[in-house]
Amino acid sequence: MEQYNVRFLPDNLTVQVPAETSILSAAAKAGIVIKSGCGGKGSCGACQVVLMSGEVKVEGTGKLSHEQIEAGVHLACKTKVMGDLSVEVPPESRLQEHQVLTGSVKGLLSEKEVNLLQKYGLKPLARKIQLSLAEPTLTENTADWAKLYLELKKHLGEGKIDVPLSVVRDLPEVLRAGEWQVTVTVADLPERSEVIKVEPGQSTIPAYGLAIDIGTTTVVVYLVNLESGEIIDKQGTYNKQARYGDDVISRIVYSVDAPGNLEEIQAAVVNTVNELVDSICRKHKVQREDIAGAVAAGNTTMTQLFMGVSPKYVRLEPYIPTFSYVPPVTAGELGMHMNPRGPVIMFPSVASYVGGDIVSGVLVTDMANGDELVLFIDIGTNGEIVLGNRDWLVSCACSAGPCFEGGGISFGMRAMPGAIERVDIDPETFDVDLKVVGGGRPVGICGSGLVDVLAKLREASIIDRAGNFQKDIQSHRIRQTEEDKEFVLAWAHQAEGEKDIVISENDVKNLIRAKGAIYAGIRSLLRMVSLEVEMIDKIVIAGGFGNYLNVPDSVQIGLLPDLPSERYEFIGNSSVKGAHLALLSRQARVEAVELGKKMTYLELSVGNDFMDEFVSALFLPHTDLSLFPSVDS
Amino acid sequence: MAVTLVKERWQSRVGEVVLGATPAEGGTRSHTITVGGDGTLPFLHFEGAVANRPVVALEVNDVEPDWSPRLKEYYAGVINDPAAWAKKCVEEYGADLIYLKLTGANPEGANRTPAECAQTVKDVLAAVSVPLIVAGCEDAEKDNEVMAAVAEAAAGENLLIGLAEQENYKSITAAAMVHKHSVIARSPLDINICKQLNILINEMGLPLNKIVIDPMIGGLGFGLEYAYSIMERARLGSLVNDKMLAMPMICTPGYEANRAKEANAGIEDFPGWGDLHDRGTMWEALTATSLVQTGASILLMRNPEALKLVKQNIDELMVSNA
Repeated sequence: MEQYNVRFLPDNLTVQVPAETSILSAAAKAGIVIKSGCGGKGSCGACQVVLMSGEVKVEGTGKLSHEQIEAGVHLACKTKVMGDLSVEVPPESRLQEHQVLTGSVKGLLSEKEVNLLQKYGLKPLARKIQLSLAEPTLTENTADWAKLYLELKKHLGEGKIDVPLSVVRDLPEVLRAGEWQVTVTVADLPERSEVIKVEPGQSTIPAYGLAIDIGTTTVVVYLVNLESGEIIDKQGTYNKQARYGDDVISRIVYSVDAPGNLEEIQAAVVNTVNELVDSICRKHKVQREDIAGAVAAGNTTMTQLFMGVSPKYVRLEPYIPTFSYVPPVTAGELGMHMNPRGPVIMFPSVASYVGGDIVSGVLVTDMANGDELVLFIDIGTNGEIVLGNRDWLVSCACSAGPCFEGGGISFGMRAMPGAIERVDIDPETFDVDLKVVGGGRPVGICGSGLVDVLAKLREASIIDRAGNFQKDIQSHRIRQTEEDKEFVLAWAHQAEGEKDIVISENDVKNLIRAKGAIYAGIRSLLRMVSLEVEMIDKIVIAGGFGNYLNVPDSVQIGLLPDLPSERYEFIGNSSVKGAHLALLSRQARVEAVELGKKMTYLELSVGNDFMDEFVSALFLPHTDLSLFPSVDS
Repeated sequence: MAVTLVKERWQSRVGEVVLGATPAEGGTRSHTITVGGDGTLPFLHFEGAVANRPVVALEVNDVEPDWSPRLKEYYAGVINDPAAWAKKCVEEYGADLIYLKLTGANPEGANRTPAECAQTVKDVLAAVSVPLIVAGCEDAEKDNEVMAAVAEAAAGENLLIGLAEQENYKSITAAAMVHKHSVIARSPLDINICKQLNILINEMGLPLNKIVIDPMIGGLGFGLEYAYSIMERARLGSLVNDKMLAMPMICTPGYEANRAKEANAGIEDFPGWGDLHDRGTMWEALTATSLVQTGASILLMRNPEALKLVKQNIDELMVSNA
């Protein structure tokens, strides 16, 4: 099929797509997210774009006015590419809530949509079954529960069916109130079913479920219609545990510090989840009672804290978690705002520092079912890394420090409005060109910006390969402070604050250590299985920072292996995606438990390999330049 | 039954570095010295070429050093005259080359000017005809000035000048490039930093055959075995074609061995340790010979008696065992 170039303005991004691709899909490929309320049916009219030039096929104009059509306005979803195009995407058509991908397309990873549900099949954690029971008589005098049980059995087939006492207590009145028409909510648990709720009449309200990612920093909740699999809403917020410390270690320390602290810190995260659930429920008029199950994924410490299990020994050598897998618990035990009898399933952990969030991510990558050798990296405070394919999986966690989340850097910050996310430095004049999240004045630098800064400082020879600032460069942007050297990225008058935004030599050294730790982790895993970097077929990057990551720059600084960009894929928040999948598919739930057992954990603090690899990675890009053949000397 | 020796086949060899320059080459030395070039682990003649014999330099200072009286005795009468000191080292004690240390440049000490230092180098060059190794006073800022002046004053002599370190390698490298000298690249007992420094220096444009590695060492009883294994690793790296590790190595047994208590404490304090004179000599000699056996190409020594023992040991090691 013919390929055409579509150029998007004002981003000035060009992508190549086959003929008959919708402008909406082309934009997605360019990393530009256009609003599309109706999902591409041409009915909501949100995806308006202006065609500047080129040939298209219009399949619908929806509610566009005559004047709009005259002015070249098209619906991106109903307009097909038939030649090289130039298209303007006005700001009102862009999805603003989330940070949108822009910049050079070839360097960035657009998020890969995962649809594994088809493969796994819809078999949700809970569902509602409508039953018609025969009214009892003097001669047909089976007990209420026995009657319901027999009818349920017809739907559920073989297998044990449990019912909690609380449901039995309400049963006689419910059955009679509904005149023997009832709706039963049943949870699908390992090797048994459990009745969660019995309501009178034939309810048309579906059973809902929650997919939860419990991150150290942020918590994300999806509310899912368990009948259709559709995500009703997604919401995220900061983990309320943050006030007890930013990282897992300080949370552990707090939780064991005094009696009552564990309960307090557990309540903090449960409240975080509850507030999100309440907010979604209000917005969509969903009753708590109808939320019949939840699947959560988090790192080992977060999982234990969520369950109210002390993580004390996670922190102490030899770093033993209390459990890797626990059978489902009920929401009531955890204090969650949903049906208290609904099951809550936690993703199993591998080790103290490779948790359920990583198992969840691996599930979503589907790497454990393919022949390709996949490297999965979740870059956060800990860089967790998994390598393998259908035959084996090895994992490790390397402590990269909080640099890429903005910690430990003079002007570091998370990726939010005001964060510098792209940097260009003219190697001749040292003039700086910045791209700021949200387009406003810069406040600080986020992870992707820091990767860029490092690469560009090196490119402009402002720093040498060891990260030392070069003294012989004459520029007012490079200056010596009392205890450090620094490079000015933005002058105070250009920035939001009162100070110049700078990157110091110390920052550079911290970044080199962080990137060195990640790369050393990758190399240690490869060494463990005696494989070389080139043998990796695909690298999947997860985590919030991943999709803004410029791959060529990351390779340039030696953060990521020197492999062609095509081998890189970004998967977004794989932790919540895996939870979503497990919520909807029994096979995924079973596989998650298997995955937890299947992954071999490599403890990097044992032996010298990691330390050796780490020290040799403290160089730009690496002491062994042969590992980075594409990086020019 | 005859035992068949297992022989390793190496892909590569240690690079060669030439020290000094004859008049034909733009210098004034009577001969040049080539170090490195080995295609095997040290002295396994049966396995590969042991190309060049390790060489030994004696240390000369531009001001009277704070050495022990036992060492200073060897240089009585010349210790305040670097040129005469150097001459004695070569003619009387048989040093292969001179290691001139410009301690006097130190701002905390004699604070000699770069010009004065350059003059000292010229004096020593005039007094002896062997190639010269010149190092500064270990004050980074001052050394940058001093070594630039020295490099210029001795242009064309192909001195081996030091020290380039990771935090401070640019100006000395630039000086070596402009005035055609070679550089000592010093790293703190760390194979990675060693390699990184070589890359940094090489990227400035100094060819690899103008770099000598100082891996830093510990003296006998003070970490010698650690240095030994680092050096062994560097040699193995050279042999498997790691170009950025394939430079000859220079070591400082004279400095390290004489720092040890064992090389300084008298018999009256430690009757069981034996006579200090022999003990001090042996301490330096043993440190040096151990280093030779793990691949050192240039030894910087202080004790002429120890030097004699080391040269004798090298003679024995150079006899082919193929």
